[in-house]
Amino acid sequence: MMDIAFYILSAIAIWSGWRVFRVDSMIRATFALMVSFICVGGIALLMSADYIGIATVFMMAVEMMVMGLFMVMFMMNPAGLNPMQMVHQYRLSIGAGIVAFIGLTVAVLATDLPHNPLPADRDTMRDLGINLLGGSMLIFETAGVTLLATMLGAVILSSRRGRFGNSDVGAVPPGLQPGGTPAGRKVEAGGGHGGHGGHGGHDMKIVKTPEHEDMGHTHHEMAEEKPAVSDAEPMDQRDHAVGHKQGAKAAEPLKPEHDHSPDPHKDHGNTPKKEP
Amino acid sequence: MTLTAILIVASALFGIGLFGALSQKSFVMLMMGLELMLNGTLLAAVGFWAFTLEGAPKGQLLAILVMAVMAVELAIGFALVVAVYRKRQADVVEALGTLKE
Amino acid sequence: MSFAIALIEMLTFMIFGVFLAAVLDAFFYRRIAGRSGVSLLMPLYAAAAHLSRQRLTTEAPDRLNWFLSISGFLALGAIGLAVVPFGPQTAVIGMETSVVLWGACESLVVVLVFLHGWSPNSPLALIGAYRYVAIGLPIMLLSMFVLIAVALPAESLDLRAIVISQEGLWNVIRQPLGLPLFLLLGLSLTLRGPLDYGDSADLAGGTSIEDSGANRAGWQVARLAMLVGFSAVAASAFLGGYLGPVLPGIVWLALKTLTVMAVIIAMGHLLARMPVARMLGLIWKVLLPIAFLDLLLAGLVALP
Repeated sequence: MMDIAFYILSAIAIWSGWRVFRVDSMIRATFALMVSFICVGGIALLMSADYIGIATVFMMAVEMMVMGLFMVMFMMNPAGLNPMQMVHQYRLSIGAGIVAFIGLTVAVLATDLPHNPLPADRDTMRDLGINLLGGSMLIFETAGVTLLATMLGAVILSSRRGRFGNSDVGAVPPGLQPGGTPAGRKVEAGGGHGGHGGHGGHDMKIVKTPEHEDMGHTHHEMAEEKPAVSDAEPMDQRDHAVGHKQGAKAAEPLKPEHDHSPDPHKDHGNTPKKEP
Repeated sequence: MTLTAILIVASALFGIGLFGALSQKSFVMLMMGLELMLNGTLLAAVGFWAFTLEGAPKGQLLAILVMAVMAVELAIGFALVVAVYRKRQADVVEALGTLKE
Repeated sequence: MSFAIALIEMLTFMIFGVFLAAVLDAFFYRRIAGRSGVSLLMPLYAAAAHLSRQRLTTEAPDRLNWFLSISGFLALGAIGLAVVPFGPQTAVIGMETSVVLWGACESLVVVLVFLHGWSPNSPLALIGAYRYVAIGLPIMLLSMFVLIAVALPAESLDLRAIVISQEGLWNVIRQPLGLPLFLLLGLSLTLRGPLDYGDSADLAGGTSIEDSGANRAGWQVARLAMLVGFSAVAASAFLGGYLGPVLPGIVWLALKTLTVMAVIIAMGHLLARMPVARMLGLIWKVLLPIAFLDLLLAGLVALP
């Protein structure tokens, strides 16, 4: 009975661990990882480690919730509405995973594991409690101080206000080609128009890369107009935008000069997809 | 449910986690791979405690320590991801290449 | 055979509890709105009305998570009721760490409400889900400290032992700060009143904005089931559970659960809801220190 439960739980744990990296929807990936942890917690329960099993479920539910929020923040495709696979060194990593699994399995099968099983009547919770606040108090206290340091560190690392200014001042994203000029938005303290001046040169690059399938045709029109305009200067951008408004016939009249600013975002987001 | 079976399951989880950590480009997915590796480690620790230690509480403490490590790694990892994004606007691993040469 | 008896008791308790919770909810609402009373068959009419409507859907919803969130919420309410002892050693789930299991249920509620708001692929539902996560996670911390304080006199994390330890004095008198904080958790778990950031009216229904038909009926029943489960846990942890002089244990448990349910429903309809940022500040800066104080006082009493 316990063996059947163990086999089912391990199968679900391994399968959902694999699905984490195969599903398109990021929220499903996060909660597949949570299912994997819940199954490991269940196996721990079967081994009479009551507290550890349930505490694993408890902790992992909260951790995966937070991770889900970060997924939605940082990943391009959180709901999996488009199929996507952002991987690099794919075969190497599959090889490494298989080598690790085989190596560890061989090590497990080859060693003569000692056999001192848990006595059936041992009160594991009581032992854990007495040890945690008795003989192993140092471990407990160190873990407490470490977690305090983690809390402080996490808040400080991720705070936007620093002693010498905001943390994202002067942030330029990496170039579309390695070592190239930065693409995307530049965070300026003073507002957006100086940044637009810098965009003119970038938009020149956009014309060369054929990645506009998800943009409206007005962007194509604008991209064609760009080479005809001289180098970007702030005033030129405004004139150009005015010309653009007159040039775009039926296009969105609601979009002011700023409508070329989303392009670098989209390109910056699209490019890593096309590289491998 | 022998110790060997538990350790094989733990190494499978570790292997999948290693595959994920090496293959994913996005920071957050990489951290999911690390979490899976720690998952395997937790299972192995509890397995060793149940089958070779006669229930000495130090084994359970090791498991709790692994859980604390998971929590710390998640918190600091995400704080670093946020900080790196603010500074470099990088959300993939390829974007942090300044130490490459 | 005692497991089968306990299971039947639990299911009967749950069904009656859900029914009475629905009636109480409607009764309080109509009383406050100044209208006349409510018939005892109202929940059946409401359920029939919901089930007879069609199940509308949105564009590209996450169907699996929609189903899992509703059924999971119902299952968590059932687990909450399952850890409650109906008699000295009669609990459907009788394990040494049942309080930790209840804590795991609380954290899974946050996950499931988020999934419920995520799955319809609708903006207001997602806003409800995010707001709920921001409030639900720290509220859960409150309840954990309060439950540890309750476990201290019992010297066990088993809810059965906690009830037995209240034979002299109920925990609501020994640890007065505990029950008010725990009731706040109840409001958050069942998405009511001042902590209803998930399903609130200012988001036109929040996470259940796109629920209709069987989905809506399922979600409302799940909320009521969670209310019953939570009230039973609160009655066992603070009001002495099945302990009482003349009547049989389960009748006392039912009366205490009904009291807690009525209090939560009343608080849900009478107290106003603050903006999220303010509530967040209140929880982290005021309520958590009060929970620490509660735990400290319980520890000081338990030390000698």
